[in-house]
Amino acid sequence: MAQSIRSEAIASHSSSNHKPLLEVKNLHTHFFTGEGVVHAVDGASFEVHAGKTLGVVGESGCGKSVAAKSILQIVDKPGRVVDGEILYTSQVSAGQEIRRDILKLDAGGAEMRAIRGGEISMIFQEPMSSFSPVHTVGNQLTEAIQLHTEMSDKEAEQAAIQWLSHVGIPNPTHRLNEFPYRLSGGQCQRAMIAMALSTNPRILIADEPTTALDVTTQAQILNLLQRLQANTGMAMIFITHDLGVIAEVADEVAVMYLGRIVEKAPVKEIFRNPKHPYTKALLTSIPRIDAQPRERLPSIKGSIPHPQNRPSGCPFHPRCPAFIAGTCDQKEPQLADVGKNHQASCFLYPGC
Amino acid sequence: MNNDTVLQVNNLKKYYPVETGFLKRRVGTVRAVDDVSFAIRQGETVSLVGESGCGKTTTSRCIVRAVDPTAGEILYRRENGEVIDLATIGQNALRPIRREFQMVFQDPFSSLNPRMTIFEIISEPLRVHNIGNQREREDRVADLLKRVGLRAEYMRRFPHAFSGGQRQRIGIARALAASPRLIVADEPVSALDVSVQAQVLNLMMDLQDEMGLTYLFVAHDLSVVNQISNTVLVMYVGRVAEIGPPLEIFRNPKHPYTAALIASVPKPDPFNLGARIIPEGEIANPANPPSGCYFHPRCPFVVDICKQETPPLEEIEPGRFVSCHRATEIELTV
Repeated sequence: MAQSIRSEAIASHSSSNHKPLLEVKNLHTHFFTGEGVVHAVDGASFEVHAGKTLGVVGESGCGKSVAAKSILQIVDKPGRVVDGEILYTSQVSAGQEIRRDILKLDAGGAEMRAIRGGEISMIFQEPMSSFSPVHTVGNQLTEAIQLHTEMSDKEAEQAAIQWLSHVGIPNPTHRLNEFPYRLSGGQCQRAMIAMALSTNPRILIADEPTTALDVTTQAQILNLLQRLQANTGMAMIFITHDLGVIAEVADEVAVMYLGRIVEKAPVKEIFRNPKHPYTKALLTSIPRIDAQPRERLPSIKGSIPHPQNRPSGCPFHPRCPAFIAGTCDQKEPQLADVGKNHQASCFLYPGC
Repeated sequence: MNNDTVLQVNNLKKYYPVETGFLKRRVGTVRAVDDVSFAIRQGETVSLVGESGCGKTTTSRCIVRAVDPTAGEILYRRENGEVIDLATIGQNALRPIRREFQMVFQDPFSSLNPRMTIFEIISEPLRVHNIGNQREREDRVADLLKRVGLRAEYMRRFPHAFSGGQRQRIGIARALAASPRLIVADEPVSALDVSVQAQVLNLMMDLQDEMGLTYLFVAHDLSVVNQISNTVLVMYVGRVAEIGPPLEIFRNPKHPYTAALIASVPKPDPFNLGARIIPEGEIANPANPPSGCYFHPRCPFVVDICKQETPPLEEIEPGRFVSCHRATEIELTV
């Protein structure tokens, strides 16, 4: 089955031109809370190409999860997308593609529902709580399959068993009838991946899928995702705070801070030649397994501001070692080219 | 027990019964901690590292007697030099001794009582152990807040006003309040953002140097453990796989599980993505562990003896302990 997945999927996943599969432009998603408006995503733009992985990295409050949910229009209330475009190239029939702004589609309408889970799938951080505890694994998997294909109950069940086996769950036929609580964290995440991929999506959004797992399980899941991506040719948006995981899985990296993208570059470029002070500080302050023990780590002073206390100008300026008074606290930097395929938003560089 | 040893754990065991049915019939045992031995010297940081179910948290709870061990000794040398066994000492005798060891917890959001002010939280150990009067306690709390990098005025506020990193500093201040000798820190930075982890780890190391503290650190993150430890204990399903200094353990592991753990950690270095040998299978179940060496079903070096006999923890070099039948024969690369 692996072989047939591959040829079908790759044929359908490669675009006829070289435009990105998904283009998020100037996304603004705000939360309208009792205490004020939180700018969770404050003007983010990024692209995803077929067959490639975009790694989105950042800490709490950077907006990475909200940005991902905005793509599928599943932002929790009181959040709402207030501005921006999300251009997505959808397959309408063999060889026929249409590119449109999916933010304009009605969230509950048939077209968006076909895309959500069918063409763009998502997996989440806490696998144990992403499944319904009162439905069997098989029930949930076949539901996903039947929502997006024309398969009968029997066919969907067979496909579900095939997928469970693909993701490395032993005794898949048996597992179909079990409830999620009987699966370990790693197995739950595998089952969730099976559910997300069973509809042969063009893009998989993975929101911190391995953060809650043990490190050896994490390694297995990352391997699995990369193998499945190679087989199906799908694109991935991988969201994490872990720079080690980014180095492993990403082709391109977008670094986010307080709702904005502060730097974008291919993965080797980000690690070898970081330009934004936040990226640089992050890279030097992480504990490493190959560092000298007992040495003090360089740290970023201060802490991430409360989302309701957004600093003026550049959001990173209160903590920035390269702060320029009168500029960084007054004006907002924009993303500009700082190298080949490399952009950063910082007044240290011309064009920002 | 050596004169500079603060804590000596000998053959510690903690078993939980698995009961079923209305009459609570015992059908099995979860061997959460299954014969663990190690020592901590004055001023040192010893880290227990491992994945889910390895017993590191249960071990730390036994040491502070938050749970009662099933068997084994926990020899503790008091400030006055007297050695007592924490495992068997009675609750009344234990109470005044508790001042000497304190805990820092993992979740900064649930380890501070939301209805208490920061002053009340940090001074609680002082109240429990009858240390100082109100004025002296206020001075002490102000001093502690400054030591951990926070402002003294914060003592009038409540926990909800603070970020995760700040709350963790408050937790550390609380642990230091009664001037303990030993601090048991259970995953103190795992719930914090990466940029804040460095700050809190630096703080803990600075305080240790300033105040001569001894730490028992429990963590799952090997990079954090490498950064702060003098000695590392790698645990797997209730047992000790390997003990040694971090440079040795992480660059030159002797136990196949340690090598597998190290291989599994994603390194922040896209230029050196070698083929990783990732262990197959799932972590063994402490309620139903394999025979012999618990790691044998997943071990690439398994031979017959591994399935039959539990490997003893042996000192293969000074300060370097491994429990593997084949430790001296196999070459592990990382």
